[in-house]
Amino acid sequence: MDLMHHSSTFLLPTIPLHHGPSLTYALVVLNQTLPRFAPLLWKHAQLRLCADGGANRVFDEMPLLFPEEDASDVRRRYKPDVIKGDMDSIRKEVLDFYRSLGTEIIDKSHDQDTTDLHKCITYIRDFAPDVNKSSQLCILVAGALGGRYDHEMGNLNVLYCFSSLRIVLLSDDSLIYLLPRTHHHEIHIQTSVEGPHCGLIPIGVPSRSSTTTGLRWNLNNTEMRFGGLISSSNIVVGEKVTVQSDTDLLWTISIKKL
Amino acid sequence: MPLLFPEEDASDVRRRYKPDVIKGDMDSIRKEVLDFYRSLGTEIIDKSHDQDTTDLHKCITYIRDFAPDVNKSSQLCILVAGALGGRYDHEMGNLNVLYCFSSLRIVLLSDDSLIYLLPRTHHHEIHIQTSVEGPHCGLIPIGVPSRSSTTTGLRWNLNNTEMRFGGLISSSNIVVGEKVTVQSDTDLLWTISIKKL
Repeated sequence: MDLMHHSSTFLLPTIPLHHGPSLTYALVVLNQTLPRFAPLLWKHAQLRLCADGGANRVFDEMPLLFPEEDASDVRRRYKPDVIKGDMDSIRKEVLDFYRSLGTEIIDKSHDQDTTDLHKCITYIRDFAPDVNKSSQLCILVAGALGGRYDHEMGNLNVLYCFSSLRIVLLSDDSLIYLLPRTHHHEIHIQTSVEGPHCGLIPIGVPSRSSTTTGLRWNLNNTEMRFGGLISSSNIVVGEKVTVQSDTDLLWTISIKKL
Repeated sequence: MPLLFPEEDASDVRRRYKPDVIKGDMDSIRKEVLDFYRSLGTEIIDKSHDQDTTDLHKCITYIRDFAPDVNKSSQLCILVAGALGGRYDHEMGNLNVLYCFSSLRIVLLSDDSLIYLLPRTHHHEIHIQTSVEGPHCGLIPIGVPSRSSTTTGLRWNLNNTEMRFGGLISSSNIVVGEKVTVQSDTDLLWTISIKKL
């Protein structure tokens, strides 16, 4: 079984060279309050998309993260490349503003079968060739957690539907991504920005056997299931965690308040 | 609590909203807060030696086992504020509590949504309080795929439909009218939006 490496270098001020696999980042902004480190994610990303109302968030809240600067300057600097979705949340003034700056607007209001996040992931995977090297692409998603719980679950399901893509859901407090059962996993902990609180969650299917190293309470061929044991309130010890499991597991780790 | 009654004196509000019990491992509560409520007669149960269960788990156990006045399990309903948001591993641990205590009615509440378990052992009728909840809702097969779920009363009903993570889950659904029925071969999580009033 192949090894898959993970490292939250996107939370570092600068991404170290030759640090694990070379990743190309894309950023999707959904319609929740921007995390305080949104400018950092924006800086690392080569492609920045807003999903519908996410554009309102960038327009309204990016200037708030730079209170000493002129709001218009901030808005021009943080211009999304694409706004995609069913367009039922984005304000007209915001749409017009970004359109006038050259943002590509993709109106998918006819497609009610998939969530806005799903549409954005599909776009990045299929239509953004510059960043579409799937073994190197990592899609960062801001605003996927919190708010309406059915939305949060729909966003979580997107991780499972696109299990061959690296997708990271981020909030102010936590990040989460899928550890596919097809690989052994090595997670390199960036202790300056994340941890120590973590968890491994068997969301969709019980796990008959999961094994870890590097946690305060490691799993050792351990069963996990909802209604029984799940690994929450765990602690990372040191800088490397390994995970292998018979099922797809959700990895979550806390983000430090800096 | 005083912030929700800005026109009143904070001390008055605090005395009016006095918890009966404070329970947990006590690593977050401030000393001044602990002393204040202890002086008012709140029962303090220090479970700092027990690191195997979450604070919510400890509280559910307390209510189930030690609060006989409310412990008629067919009538008891435990409302939980603050279970969602924040650290995601905590949120998942709180969700798991619903599954661990599946014979109890436990409702997790945030400003935006409420969620509770629909155990597979029953058919379910959900009476929608349209003045305060909806229309956005979802049915989520957490933990185990569902081979067959059937609903009425939703914009997109399920009809012996399979649901699983990685495939179809019922999110961004809409309640139509005032009654939803659900039956399924697995425990499903029901979630509905709470109206901003």
